[in-house]
Amino acid sequence: MSENIKIVKNATCTFCGCVCDDMELTVDLDKKQIIKAKNACVLGRAWFAEHTIQEGPVALIDGKESKLEDAIEEAAQTLTKAKFPITYGLSDTTCEAQRQAVAITDFIRGTIDTTTSVCHGPSGLAFQGVGESTMTLGEVKNRADFVMYWGGNPAESHPRHFTRYSVTPKGMFTPNGKKDRTVVLVDVRRTASTPVADIFLQVKPGKDFELAWAMRALVKGHTVDASIEEETGISLEVLTDLVERMKNCNYGVLFMGMGLTMTRGRHFNSGAIMALATDLNEFTHFVAKPVRGHGNVTGADNVVSWQTGYPFGVNFSKGYPRFNPGEFTTVDTLSRGDADAALIIASDPAANFPQAAINHLHKIPVVSFDTKETATSQLAHVAFRTSTYGINTGGTAYRMDDVPITLRPAFESPFPSDEEILTALKKRVHELVIAKSRSQGAGTAKVAAPIR
Amino acid sequence: MTSYIRISNGKVYDPSNNVDGQIQDICIENGKIVETVPADARKIDASGMVIMPGGVDIHCHIAGPKVNLARKLQPEDHRHDPHPGTLHTRSGSGGTVPSTFATGYRYATLGYTTAMEAAVTPIGARHTLEELHDTPVIDKGFYVLLGNNIFLQQLLKEGRKEEFKQAVAWWINSTKAYTTKLVNPGGDEPWKGKKNSNVSDIDEKVTETDISPRQIIDAFIDAVNELGLPHPPHVHCNNLGHSGNFKTTLETMRTAGDRRVHLAHIQFHSYAGEIGKNPGSAAREIADYVNDHPNISCDVGQVMFGKSTIMTADAPLAYMLRGIAKGKWVNADTECESGCGIVPFKYQEHVYVHAMQWAIGLELFLLSKDPWRIILSTDHPNGGSFMNYPKLIKLLMDSSFRKEELSRANQKAINKTLLPELDREYSLNEIAIITRAGPARCLGLSNKGHLGVGADADITIYDDQQDKELMFNAPRYVFKSGIPVISNHEFCEDHTGKLLHVAPDYDESIVDSVRPFFENYYSIEFDNYAVDDSYLHDHEIIPTINQ
Amino acid sequence: MTISLSLHTQPDVPLEAELISPDKLAGLTTAEIEKQTVEHGNQKTTIADFFTVAGEKSDSLVLEGDLSKIKHIGSGMSFGKININGDVGAHLGTAMSGGEIVVEGNVGDWLAPEMLAGRVEVKGNAGHMVGSAYRGSPAGILGGEIIIHGNARNEVGHAMRNGMIVIGGDSGDFTGVNMLAGTIIVLGELGIRTGAGLRRGSVVCMKNSKLLPTFSYSCVYQPTYLRLYLLYLQSLGLGIREEQIMGHYERWCGDIIEFNRGEILLYHE
Repeated sequence: MSENIKIVKNATCTFCGCVCDDMELTVDLDKKQIIKAKNACVLGRAWFAEHTIQEGPVALIDGKESKLEDAIEEAAQTLTKAKFPITYGLSDTTCEAQRQAVAITDFIRGTIDTTTSVCHGPSGLAFQGVGESTMTLGEVKNRADFVMYWGGNPAESHPRHFTRYSVTPKGMFTPNGKKDRTVVLVDVRRTASTPVADIFLQVKPGKDFELAWAMRALVKGHTVDASIEEETGISLEVLTDLVERMKNCNYGVLFMGMGLTMTRGRHFNSGAIMALATDLNEFTHFVAKPVRGHGNVTGADNVVSWQTGYPFGVNFSKGYPRFNPGEFTTVDTLSRGDADAALIIASDPAANFPQAAINHLHKIPVVSFDTKETATSQLAHVAFRTSTYGINTGGTAYRMDDVPITLRPAFESPFPSDEEILTALKKRVHELVIAKSRSQGAGTAKVAAPIR
Repeated sequence: MTSYIRISNGKVYDPSNNVDGQIQDICIENGKIVETVPADARKIDASGMVIMPGGVDIHCHIAGPKVNLARKLQPEDHRHDPHPGTLHTRSGSGGTVPSTFATGYRYATLGYTTAMEAAVTPIGARHTLEELHDTPVIDKGFYVLLGNNIFLQQLLKEGRKEEFKQAVAWWINSTKAYTTKLVNPGGDEPWKGKKNSNVSDIDEKVTETDISPRQIIDAFIDAVNELGLPHPPHVHCNNLGHSGNFKTTLETMRTAGDRRVHLAHIQFHSYAGEIGKNPGSAAREIADYVNDHPNISCDVGQVMFGKSTIMTADAPLAYMLRGIAKGKWVNADTECESGCGIVPFKYQEHVYVHAMQWAIGLELFLLSKDPWRIILSTDHPNGGSFMNYPKLIKLLMDSSFRKEELSRANQKAINKTLLPELDREYSLNEIAIITRAGPARCLGLSNKGHLGVGADADITIYDDQQDKELMFNAPRYVFKSGIPVISNHEFCEDHTGKLLHVAPDYDESIVDSVRPFFENYYSIEFDNYAVDDSYLHDHEIIPTINQ
Repeated sequence: MTISLSLHTQPDVPLEAELISPDKLAGLTTAEIEKQTVEHGNQKTTIADFFTVAGEKSDSLVLEGDLSKIKHIGSGMSFGKININGDVGAHLGTAMSGGEIVVEGNVGDWLAPEMLAGRVEVKGNAGHMVGSAYRGSPAGILGGEIIIHGNARNEVGHAMRNGMIVIGGDSGDFTGVNMLAGTIIVLGELGIRTGAGLRRGSVVCMKNSKLLPTFSYSCVYQPTYLRLYLLYLQSLGLGIREEQIMGHYERWCGDIIEFNRGEILLYHE
């Protein structure tokens, strides 16, 4: 260990949607490496340990090292020439960078989408259908005496969710922590999370909607046929008991996992859970919340919403935002072969999208932003290497409950941040768009000379 | 490079400086109004035009967590009202909850250059500041929700008044807010409790906290006055929307005695009748009290027929309205700080209650004797979008238009109000007061709402038209800080605008009292809570009276 | 006399062509039609860049070619007729209030969403969201008639408030979800979760189906009104059997979570 050690207190882990902000990082400034991350979970420790600085060019054009300015110029030219450019990713970067990305997409009249569309996008749609009674996570800690997880395995996906927010913490009206709470898990199989549950319901695969729907009927005082057991794997007796507990708790919470959103029924599954929480407010205080995955996917939803009015799957080809998941979401625009250029930021669709979408990515010019080499950066026409948010660069990340937190970077990276390059790219794109408009003779008559 | 502009030949309405329609030159140098400019200054001929200071909205909901939830919630509301970009401006979506860019540009297209977001949770301040940065043209600020703050209520219960004041000051500094906002004070704990209930009387002691709404209101009025904030506590009274609530409103004003207080969207608090039954109008009672008490200011919160979005920190109210609207409903609890409810809504002229609300708002405007203290607002988007302001101005200025509109509304409701008998018509000078000079004065913004030397060059120039709705809908020029953002009705330049906030002095040892509470009951780290200066774009600290 | 548009160049990104509608083209000459704007991605181009135009001044349009990358044809149309001899893309007949669209091939997603009145007939298959509401809207189609001879995918008639939708083949999941009123008839198999959130209205199916636990069996009967519908569908060439016309149907009522005033009728062999 070198002498040049720095301690960063209250740093934030941006690995998952928990966005825990109580990290104490021990940083070796000579080696440019985090050697200890106190309070971090197993995923967080890996996240911090992995991020070391690897030498390499800041930008590549067609795989060849390039100057940053040249790469920005080439990216700007590529994007402004396209007729149907798409922007995708964004959940592993700061809100500051996300704001620039939406601006670029607005100027090039492209389509912007985030990884929301492949995780809790369906919950976003469900929200637009039924609304949601929800809360910040501190309310769970302070008040919740009934906590239910449906279709998720937080012990492995969000290891501190139980201990920091929802199961064991002691709060204002829950002075004994877990003893004051009933914890229920609904899932298709037993997982590492199951042992925490007081009640575990093993629902038959693909029957979440039927189960939630039956619970809604019971909450509303209707009878449900005993055949529900054969249908869903849960007996009417167990279900009736559960509903009574829910109606009689003081403050109930339903957490939704991707087991709901990415199985058959998708947005209707999350919608059923949100509606169930809403129904229960006739009897007691009840809230629901999706357990979001990526570190700042919630920030991406927020930024895209405030800038365009819609959370994801937004198209600007007419010069204003339009929203239509299924039409403007990235898996769809790529699989159908609609896009003719792509700007991919902090995401690796070439590694994890369906094959039809990956095939199309190979056919079109791609501009990529990532902190390391990825399948996407390898096929990119222009690839930028950037620094890691939360570790090398500051900015803002939103927790899964929409609470924004300021990041405290640990050490400097030789690579620029996403925000810096995107800001430069935006400036150049805007210049090109204005030049193009002038050359076409449009707009010039209307534009008064700026007098400032 | 210094920029100079001289605007000549226009009729100037500048009530703060007693200018009522006289033809005067207005000179601008580098964003401020000056006595005169060099002869080679850019000249604008405003013949046949009306010049006013830029509009100031004292109470609207345009940025922050609840606004963004309401935006996400309603794609159907944006879809039919797109906001195309230009070479100089960003695109966006409209509807009752527009995107940030559309919000800023649309305020500008009405000649408004300042707007105050009226309810932000402290933990949502960072989010709000980010959105305000993306809200172009206008200057803006926000009021921080402290009326249901559990820690502050604990201090009150324990009688620690000095610490209470220090903690209020700490919270304002930590969030970059403009003043304190109380919403249904005391109501959140019952709401978040098992029965989803509410506090119903200003003197009712809330079980969970053992203090009453009146104690909370009283303490905030004292604290804010002692801190010398330019704007007093901004109060959304208890019992909003309930029949008979005017008594609560009168009691709230009486609590203030002769101390300054601002009552938000007072229309929603001026209902006679019995709880649970249809409301009647108590506009006369409320207007009389406001008329007689110069320490009180209020904004109206006019209801306009058509689409609205109810979004409020008054969560129990939104739950009640959900039962009426029968559509989607959002509830959002914020730890230790606030509640929130959102319901898409539509005011319909044939519905008794909606017509009554519409009429009460107009009664309040017309019965009020001092336009400086009754400010034009729709509680955007609760009573309707701010885009309704031109129509509302026409309703106030044109009694024959008002009679026409009134004849289409539910007559059973209208006939229970004084509205059919009120012939008053607002003058342009009075409109300039209720939309500019008055709100600027209530906010303590000495550089806004007027056109005197030294004022910010936020200026709107309208074509002088008979139809006031048309006139106020489309200013020919809008200058923001001296920059002509709109010229001949076209956007020709973008502008970011700045954040207005206060920074009252406080004793830093208060942090030692807040920290333990925080560590026990919040879910983020205390040291990550206060908002740092990186979230301020261009900003201006408005000094307190003591500074 | 008709206006005929035949595709000569396949767009390489989606083409948006709400101008291809009798409302916009009926009064124009051939030369004027050629100059009308369509949007090729974010570029404004003209009809002539993609179509060979023949004929003029007619409220009857005939479109030829593989139009599967072309969206919004007939958006908002209120009169006249569009015949499409080929496949066609998404948002066909959005919010149309009159007139008729007949498609010989298949159609993309969002066929006639939020339709008010008029008629759409598709000889092939349809995508998701036939006659649905757009996201967030409380109501889908308010009237009119949509006939699909082939299959349709998920969310047929989402939140429909009136009108009729007929699927000659199979329908996907959530047929008639959140339906407020109106009639959906499916001659093939239903997907799962039919009528979830159904308030009023009827979903009729000729095959048996597993329904949600919030639907309850009420009786078997011979609905007289159905005969009129089925005779009409038979006349359109849809495969209706005589015994179905006079047949018995199981009536299931629901959704009990809502008013329990909707019905699902299943043909009783």
